[in-house]
Amino acid sequence: MSYRVGFDVGGTFTDFVLQSSTGELHTAKRLTTYPDPSEACLAGLDELMERAGVPWTQLTQAVHGTTLGSNIVIERKAQGIGLLTTRGFRDVLIIGREKRYQVYDLQIEKPAPLIPRRMIAEVRERVLADGSIRDPLDEEDARRAIRALAARGVTTLGICLLHAYRNPAHERRLAALVAEVAPEIAVTLSHEVSPTFREYERTSTTVVNAYVMSAVREYLQSLQAAMRERGYRGRLFVMQSSGGVATADAMERYPVRMIESGPAAGALMAAVYGELTGHKDLIAFDMGGTTAKLCLVENGRPGTTTAFELHRVNNAPGSGLPMNIQAIDLVEIGAGGGSIARARLGVIAVGPESASSTPGPVCYGRGGHEPTVTDANLVLGYLNPAYFAGGTMKLDVGAATRAIDQKLARPLGLEVEEAAWGIHTIVNTNMELATRVVSIERGRDPRDLTFVAFGGSGPVHGCRLAQALGIPRVILPAAAGVTAAIGLLAAEVKFDVARTFVARLDTLDPATVSAMYDDMAAQALDVVRQSAVTAQLTVVRSADARYVGQGYELTVPVPGGRLDAAALAAVRTRFDEIYAARYGYSSPGEPVEIVTWKLSAVGGTPRVNLAKAATAGTRDPRKGERPAYFPERGGFVDTPLYDRYLLTAGASIVGPAIVEERESTTVLPPGAAATVDAYANLIVRLPVAGTPDEPVLELIR
Amino acid sequence: MSRRRVDPITLGVIWGALQSIAVEIGTTVHKTAYSEQAREGQDFSVAVFDAEGRMVAQGPYSPGHMGAMSFAVQHALAAHPARTLKPGDAILLNDPLLGSGHLPDFFITQPAFHDGALIGFAVNILHHTDVGGSRPGSQGVEGIFDYFQEGLRIPPTKVWSAYRENDAVVGVIAANTRTPSSVLGDLRAQRSALRVGELRLQELAARYGRDTLAAAMDEILARTEANMRAAIREVRDGVYTFEDFMDDCGPGTEPLRVAVTVTVEGDRMDIDYDGSSPQTASGMNSYINYTRSYSYAAVKCLTDPFGPMNEGALRPVTVSAPEGSFLNPRPPAGGGPRAIICYRTFEAVIGALAPALPARVSAAASHMANPTFGGWDRAKRRRFVAYELVLSGTGARAAKDGCEAMSWAFNASNIPVEAQEANQPIVIERFELIRDSAGPGRFRGGAGIRRDMRFLADEGKLTNLSDRQRFAPYGLFGGRPGAVGRTVFNPGPGEEVVHGKASREFAYGDVISFQQSGAGGYGDPFERDPARVLEDVLDDYLSTEAARAQYGVVITGEGAALRVDVAATERIRRQEKRNR
Repeated sequence: MSYRVGFDVGGTFTDFVLQSSTGELHTAKRLTTYPDPSEACLAGLDELMERAGVPWTQLTQAVHGTTLGSNIVIERKAQGIGLLTTRGFRDVLIIGREKRYQVYDLQIEKPAPLIPRRMIAEVRERVLADGSIRDPLDEEDARRAIRALAARGVTTLGICLLHAYRNPAHERRLAALVAEVAPEIAVTLSHEVSPTFREYERTSTTVVNAYVMSAVREYLQSLQAAMRERGYRGRLFVMQSSGGVATADAMERYPVRMIESGPAAGALMAAVYGELTGHKDLIAFDMGGTTAKLCLVENGRPGTTTAFELHRVNNAPGSGLPMNIQAIDLVEIGAGGGSIARARLGVIAVGPESASSTPGPVCYGRGGHEPTVTDANLVLGYLNPAYFAGGTMKLDVGAATRAIDQKLARPLGLEVEEAAWGIHTIVNTNMELATRVVSIERGRDPRDLTFVAFGGSGPVHGCRLAQALGIPRVILPAAAGVTAAIGLLAAEVKFDVARTFVARLDTLDPATVSAMYDDMAAQALDVVRQSAVTAQLTVVRSADARYVGQGYELTVPVPGGRLDAAALAAVRTRFDEIYAARYGYSSPGEPVEIVTWKLSAVGGTPRVNLAKAATAGTRDPRKGERPAYFPERGGFVDTPLYDRYLLTAGASIVGPAIVEERESTTVLPPGAAATVDAYANLIVRLPVAGTPDEPVLELIR
Repeated sequence: MSRRRVDPITLGVIWGALQSIAVEIGTTVHKTAYSEQAREGQDFSVAVFDAEGRMVAQGPYSPGHMGAMSFAVQHALAAHPARTLKPGDAILLNDPLLGSGHLPDFFITQPAFHDGALIGFAVNILHHTDVGGSRPGSQGVEGIFDYFQEGLRIPPTKVWSAYRENDAVVGVIAANTRTPSSVLGDLRAQRSALRVGELRLQELAARYGRDTLAAAMDEILARTEANMRAAIREVRDGVYTFEDFMDDCGPGTEPLRVAVTVTVEGDRMDIDYDGSSPQTASGMNSYINYTRSYSYAAVKCLTDPFGPMNEGALRPVTVSAPEGSFLNPRPPAGGGPRAIICYRTFEAVIGALAPALPARVSAAASHMANPTFGGWDRAKRRRFVAYELVLSGTGARAAKDGCEAMSWAFNASNIPVEAQEANQPIVIERFELIRDSAGPGRFRGGAGIRRDMRFLADEGKLTNLSDRQRFAPYGLFGGRPGAVGRTVFNPGPGEEVVHGKASREFAYGDVISFQQSGAGGYGDPFERDPARVLEDVLDDYLSTEAARAQYGVVITGEGAALRVDVAATERIRRQEKRNR
């Protein structure tokens, strides 16, 4: 018998999933440790393996999800990071793009640069936009600059030269000079990390990579060593922001690619649940304590983006650190159980501020005094005050009621339950707008999609949210609390390569592109082959295209195999279609150019076997009833409660109803009809035809 | 007008949706535009209007068009009354008086209908690369005496009818620009963006009903107005004045006076520019809509920066300037380069209110440069027009330094070096902060920025557009002004300083260096924490000489071992206090 393990470090909890080759699943949850999250990882793994009676030697694969990189950047704690750049351009990082992300705020602050100006040095050299070398690299000047940085204590050096995405010769030569002059310095090169134009964004990506490099390496190496000591003989895999996994060794050079890897796994797992139930087009909805994350999954695959921003201020574009990495295209908003509700301008506003775990919602009784979404859900009767987190926490209904009354109901002239309902609805609205961003703005009608809701708060809000969007079907996976950790086991081994090569589609020589793709495939397959668990490898190609003269691109699929004129013509037609769907019109008469050619090498999809639900139960799953608020029924009504663990395959429940489990609570509004599938997932059908109080959105195509 | 009351929850939902519609219109322009100034510089604005032509939501772009927008929509609808409009129609105008003060800004209003009834408008204004006239980029200062020299003027005209382009209008536009491909490309971007806005408005009406949507819009305006009035009420009543000067309106001309009187009375504010210089026989004139825009923006910054922005926020504020002054010129005054006037109107209002709101204001910002270039691109064998935005730091605040490299009132982005070089016959030689340029203070201003551009082009024509080369950005409450800026041809030995608003030729290989002013400081520089001065020296923002001269801080040692000589610093600072 062989086993695989996934472990995902979150802000509050670290989740563990162990699965045998026959599908048997063990899960565990443990508080995340600071400052060293690997303590909790190892302790949790030890506990889980012991509980399951599995020796480390039987473990064939371990997959890790972590936000370590993101945390290092937020804390600005790394030391000895330097940057080497083209003469005249040492301030690219400080200057940035200069737009005010809060237009009218005179007290605005830019994000603190990761590298102080004194650790940035220039070298004499210049490559032009066409890749030609105008000024050859002055090697004496370069040696002097490297020595000066070494003397200032630089141990990791980012190198980002102008137009290096077109011609990387000088960056490569500089790396060789560093190896000669100061071999103790680790180097990261912009054309390897982010071979795309716009110097600020590329420099930022390179610097983040340099910034987290040594900490990530040390962390992964010590974690691997500790696992080997325990008898683990396989490799440690890490989840990337793109949703693919790669070996820890491969990540040591490109740590920026795993900057936020936990959320990606959740979206992947939603895709797996969708696949399992026969729905390949869906929206993954992950709502936790602080944020909600939404992601469109099409044909079984989550969408990806190449423009990612780390640590935005209030989600304002331009307020974070930009990074050119492939990342699962998540929309993350400040809407979670801990989101604070306030009266603003005579209406209820929820979030993005969060009470997080400390002090937490008022009902936690840990000093929180501002009402939150969780407080509202408690007042509405959705949450069980005696069975929160499986009964390990008691919730104070009275305190939650008083807070909502004082802070919202009275100032707005509402009854307490109206105000609580208002919080519940407004947070849904915020998430609804985000849902529209990932569906309608991507040209997808939400009514054609399936909604997969998970995370601690996801199943509380999922049905209402889906209903508001006219989505008829909701999947509430079993074990919603550890969905992301299960997702780690479902992720493919994947490595992405991108090259900037600007060329017009109508004049491009297909042979040139084919040769370039061959080269890229070799590079990516090399990395994947080293770590692939299964032998089957596939290559997926795409390109970022625009009308000649534009500055931003849309991604178009590129067919496999050798390219000919007909294949390029098909790419062009597809581009016009994608463009029209996104922006209303297309311009078939205008020439199209490709800016970036992209390729992903993917190892075979591993199987995740999910446990099946019992087909016959001995105990009644119905455990009582509780008044819960459903405005379409006139207010509080006695609502039946179910124990999720006693539900058997094929069981059905009609809303209004509440289903309780350890990590979450499902609210089924009136009219919802749920059935339990073979894998213990709740499959909910919602009435969607325009009811009088909730007319269905009419989409104009 | 009273419509039925909208419950607070529906109102919250519609309010959020209108805001996100404005954002989506903007994102579409940004991602589909062709010109550098639109797609990289984000020199555009977007808004959603109600069926009565009132602005209900604005996107997070240039605030400069916002005051103009309300008036421009009224002018568009005066020429093409709402009852004559059909789905897919759109009204274009660029008339300086009716729009935002200069011809390159194409202002387009597209109605949205639901079940045959008008529900609102999607509106976008975008700065086009070139609309003809005497200078490439249509922003000349020198030699301009009316707007007929500045390019094509378009009165309110249907540019699209029933979702089809009006070929005649588009053809005339294409024939009157030096850069038809980018102008037509940007027009397509405007078209896509407004279509997206129209669709979203229709979805909103379908979902909540037309009446509820209209009632919600009324309510949004009313609440925003009440909110703004409450915020103004917190400002001490009084009459506040300020004056500042623009360098001039071209080589050999006199400075232009900006005089403002701000009257705060209860819940209203009146801003009047009486005493400002008369209108000029140059491009340097700010039509009243533009003057209004930045005056509103300043009030918004000082009273309710995080509140909603729509017509309700404008109602408690009036803006006036004497007719015939350069802040309210009579047509056909030129106005192409008016963008650089906006900093001054914005800063005059802030300067005036500084005594009333010392904790909220900011000292003057480094001035941007907005030059345009034209000529023959040898390598690509075509004529080119290029646009630049050199944006530098902002002024110091009561409790913190100004920002380095942050757009000021005119909210735009710089153009990436690699984007500019990929499209234009330009090699940028430097893009960096200028040492010792920041205005000293207990908190200092942001540094000036230097951008050196080499032109690989023949028949080169520069239209320079810079300021604060004679009158430095002011400091506040003892803070010192920043260093003045300059424009230099071929910097280094034998360099030539060029006037900030000169029109002139350049030769293949010439380098033009834009060296911007530093932003003003706040509070006495001799009270700045010496540790912060040391940090600035370590990071090379400040020389040791300037540390001593500007801050009275003595720094000794070399390289990373620099340190503050505490005794010497205290001695110098004590002596300075006695001498004052």
